[in-house]
Amino acid sequence: MRALEYSFREAVHSLWRARGSSLFAVVAIALALLVLGGLLLVTSNVERLVAQWSTAAEFSVYLRDDATSEQRGALEGLIDESGVAAGRQYVSKAEALGRFRRDFAELASLTASFEQNPFPASVEVRVRPETYQDGRAEALVTRLASAPGVADVRYDRDWLVRVTAGLDAVRGVGFALGLVMIVAAAFTVATVVRLALHQRRDEIEIMQLVGSPYSFIRGPFVVEGLLQGGVGALVALALLWLGFRAALGWWGGSLAPVVDTGSLHFLPLQLATWLVAGGMAVGALGGLAAARNI
Amino acid sequence: MIETHHLSKLYSRGLYALRDLSITVQKGEFVFLTGPSGAGKSTFLRLLLLQEHPSDGEVWVNGYHLEKLSRREIQEYRRGIGFIFQDFKLIPTRTVLENISFVPEVLGVPVAQQRRRAFQVLKWVGLQHRINAFPTELSGGEQQRIAIARALVNEPALILADEPTGNLDPDLSLEIMNLLREVNAGGTTVLVATHDRELIRLVGRRTITLDQGRVVEVA
Repeated sequence: MRALEYSFREAVHSLWRARGSSLFAVVAIALALLVLGGLLLVTSNVERLVAQWSTAAEFSVYLRDDATSEQRGALEGLIDESGVAAGRQYVSKAEALGRFRRDFAELASLTASFEQNPFPASVEVRVRPETYQDGRAEALVTRLASAPGVADVRYDRDWLVRVTAGLDAVRGVGFALGLVMIVAAAFTVATVVRLALHQRRDEIEIMQLVGSPYSFIRGPFVVEGLLQGGVGALVALALLWLGFRAALGWWGGSLAPVVDTGSLHFLPLQLATWLVAGGMAVGALGGLAAARNI
Repeated sequence: MIETHHLSKLYSRGLYALRDLSITVQKGEFVFLTGPSGAGKSTFLRLLLLQEHPSDGEVWVNGYHLEKLSRREIQEYRRGIGFIFQDFKLIPTRTVLENISFVPEVLGVPVAQQRRRAFQVLKWVGLQHRINAFPTELSGGEQQRIAIARALVNEPALILADEPTGNLDPDLSLEIMNLLREVNAGGTTVLVATHDRELIRLVGRRTITLDQGRVVEVA
C-alpha cells in the first residue's frame, strides 16, 4: 500500500517536472485511442442503424395491369399464410401515382401528359425481423415472383448486405490501424518514461543501494505510464464527444431523411470505460517495459 | 563481519583489480583501506555493495555469502549497510530532511517514523537547523554530514565509505572522521577507503594497504 502511495506521489511529481515530454506521450496515446474510439463510435452506430433497417425491411409485389382480383386475393392469402408478414398494404395504381406526385412535387407536372397511368398496383409487405434472418422472407419472395399476376417483386436487402460487408472491412482496417498506433503510443510512453528514469538515476541508485523493494523502484515509472495512458484516453474521449456533437450539429439535418438521428448515440459507458482502461494498460505496459531492467 | 577468501576481480582485458585477497574485518571494528589510485579500494567496496561480482573467491558479510544471494536476499542484505561516497550522491531536488527520510521512505517505513528518525540523525550530525535547505545550498562538509546522516538513518550494522573526505579540506576531513569514530563507538562496523595517509595517521586505526589489487601491508 505504501509502495502504491509512494509510486503515485512520485509519478505525479515526475509528470509535472517533465510536463513537456509527458504531454508528448499523452498526445500519442490520445491520437491512437481517438482512431480506435472513432472507429468504435462509427461502427456501433452503423451497426445499430443496420439492425433498425433490418427490422424495418419490407418488400413490394408489383402486379401486372391485367392481374385479376382472384389472383391478387391468392397472393394476399399466400402472404398471410406464410407467417412472414408483420403487415401488408394494397397500393392501387391511382394511389401509386398520387404518391409519386406527392414525393416528387417538382416532377408532378410531367404526369399530366401521361395518356395512361404507368404506375403498377402493388402489395407492400412489412417483414417480421426473424423471417428476414432465417430466410423465410427470401423464400416467400421467390415464390411470389413466379405467381400468376405478378410483374415483379422488389426486395432490396442487397444494400444491407453491402453495408454490413463494408462495415466489416472498415472495422478490420480500422482495428489494424488502431493497433499499430497503440503499439507506437506504448513505445512513446516507454521512451518518455526512460527519460524520466535517466533524470532520476541518482535516486534509483540510492534506492538500489539501500535495498529498496522493486515495487518502490519500478512502481513510479509504471504509474507514470498508467497516468499518461489514462489522461490520453480521457482526452481522446473528450475530443470524440466534441466531434460527435459537432457532426450531429452540422450533418444531423441532412441525415434526418435517411437516418433517425435520435438513434445515434455516443459510446456507451461500458465501452468508454474499456477505452480508458485500455489506455491505462498501454501506458502501464510502456512504463513497465522502460523500467524492467532496473 | 567481513571475510574474504582468495577474492579476485578480473576485468575483460586481463587486468586484475583485486587478486587473491583474503582479509577479515571484525564486528565493531574501524578499518581503513588505503593504497594508491588503482589499488582496488573502490572495487573492493563495490564488491561488498554487490554492484559488481567477484571473478573468483568468496565474500562473507554479516553472515551473508554474497555470491549465493538471490535478488530478494540482496535487498535484505543491503538494508544492513550504510554507504558514503566522495561525491555525496545527495538528490538535488529534495531538501535535507527529504534526502535523509528518503531511505526509510523507500523501505516502506511509516511517515511519522521516517521524519523522527531523520530528525534524530540530523541532530546527531549537527545540521538540524538546515532541515529545509537543498543540497546546493550547503557546503561540501555539510553535504558529507548529510550523507553520513543518510547512511545512519536505517541503523546499519556496517558503514562503507569510499573516499568520504576526498572533496574536503583537512579540517573538515578530520571532522567527518570524528563523526565516523562516534558512529563506530556506538558498535557499528566502519570500513573507510581513503588514500589520505595523514588522516589515517591522525585517526590511528587498523589499516589494510592495497597495491595493484593485492594486500601489501596490514598495520
